[in-house]
Amino acid sequence: MIKVEKLHKYFDGLHVLKGIDLEVAPQEVVVMIGASGSGKSTLLRCLNFLEMKDDGRIFIDSKEVDPTTTPLNKVREHVGMVFQHFNLFPHMTVLENVIEAPVHVKRIPRAEAIKSAKDLLERVGLSDKGDVYPEKLSGGQKQRVAIARALAMEPSVMLFDEPTSALDPELVGEVLDVIKSLVADGMTMVVVTHEMGFAREVADRVVFLDKGLIAEQGPPETFFSNPQHPQAQQFLSRVL
Amino acid sequence: MTSFFENLISTFPAFMEAAWMTLRLTGVSLVLAFVIGLVFALLKVTGVRWLGLLYNGYVGIIRGTPLIVQIMWLYFGITQIVVLSAFWAGTIALAIHSGAYIAEIFRGCIQSVEKGQMEAAESLGMKRALAMRRVILPQALKRAIPPLGNQFIIGLKDSSLVAFIGITEIFSLSMDNAAVTFKQLEFYTIAGLYYLAMVTIVTFVLSRVENRMDTAK
Repeated sequence: MIKVEKLHKYFDGLHVLKGIDLEVAPQEVVVMIGASGSGKSTLLRCLNFLEMKDDGRIFIDSKEVDPTTTPLNKVREHVGMVFQHFNLFPHMTVLENVIEAPVHVKRIPRAEAIKSAKDLLERVGLSDKGDVYPEKLSGGQKQRVAIARALAMEPSVMLFDEPTSALDPELVGEVLDVIKSLVADGMTMVVVTHEMGFAREVADRVVFLDKGLIAEQGPPETFFSNPQHPQAQQFLSRVL
Repeated sequence: MTSFFENLISTFPAFMEAAWMTLRLTGVSLVLAFVIGLVFALLKVTGVRWLGLLYNGYVGIIRGTPLIVQIMWLYFGITQIVVLSAFWAGTIALAIHSGAYIAEIFRGCIQSVEKGQMEAAESLGMKRALAMRRVILPQALKRAIPPLGNQFIIGLKDSSLVAFIGITEIFSLSMDNAAVTFKQLEFYTIAGLYYLAMVTIVTFVLSRVENRMDTAK
């Protein structure tokens, strides 16, 4: 589904990704963890080209994506993204947020898009909020709308960039529940998170990044109970 | 004092005509300036280097020189090449002048929209131009209303400078009357009152627009 080879990324001379190799199989749930500054969000953002790689190769849907020749908007149609700060469109209602891309990118008839959007909003438990503007919603509700908005494009993979980090603790659960329901449906996902319990529960594979490299990866049971890499041990002792 | 009101009343028809000219100069030049400003701001935010330089050149020159110089330059310069009435020379000068300030307003408002908005739009498969039109501009234009209103008011008053290329608008009419009657103070006060009345009306309309935009998002 997604393959990354020898990915390098620099920010103003700072080497943040130092040769990442990663493969995500269809229906696999990969959870990326690591200390802040380890490069996990940057790696995720490289996967839909919000950050441009400096070196290496990226394959999406088993096709190599070269940003200089491939229209990135076409690639992104298949890669859904959920952001830490939701990034809902404040001048549109919840329903308008969800139908925006289907109507204006996929050119789906409006009535049809509205019908699917209502189904999606019901799925994230917000069927009564369609006509509301985002500013009236709680953080957890906003993030659920953001998930519905990304799903409306029927992506083949979903990327989550710390989806619960900006939420009040009591609102984290409702968002994680929605993400879990996607896992149950077999959605391919790459999730960057600090929620270790959630990682343990949903991940098929945990990827631990340290200083721009994948230091350790494996099934959550072994990773959380018996981490091998010293940095992973130290990281887990601090967060668990 | 009685002479002041007599003068005010006797010149009222002439001043209404002059006010109409001021209004036309302002209205037409500001519509043009709005378009110029928006186009230049959009060129600037593409991030294309030579478009950015073009923008910097335009804004730099216009903001760096006095409006009266620009009016004179356009009236005596351009009219040597193309036939242009004083009205259009003045209107175009005012438009190019306000356009630079309005471009800066739009540029600032576009850039003030959070980076995450463009990222979210692009992550949904929108091209940059579509994202600009559907996501960024509606938010930027709303933020632009208060500073645009300010600029419109400045534009209305700046139109007085075309008096010096022989257009009969409020200020030139007061100059003429002042010169003929030697009642300078009275006629420049009258001019001020007409401008004050017009600005007050514009301010009222703008505040209505702002209120509406707030409730309707």
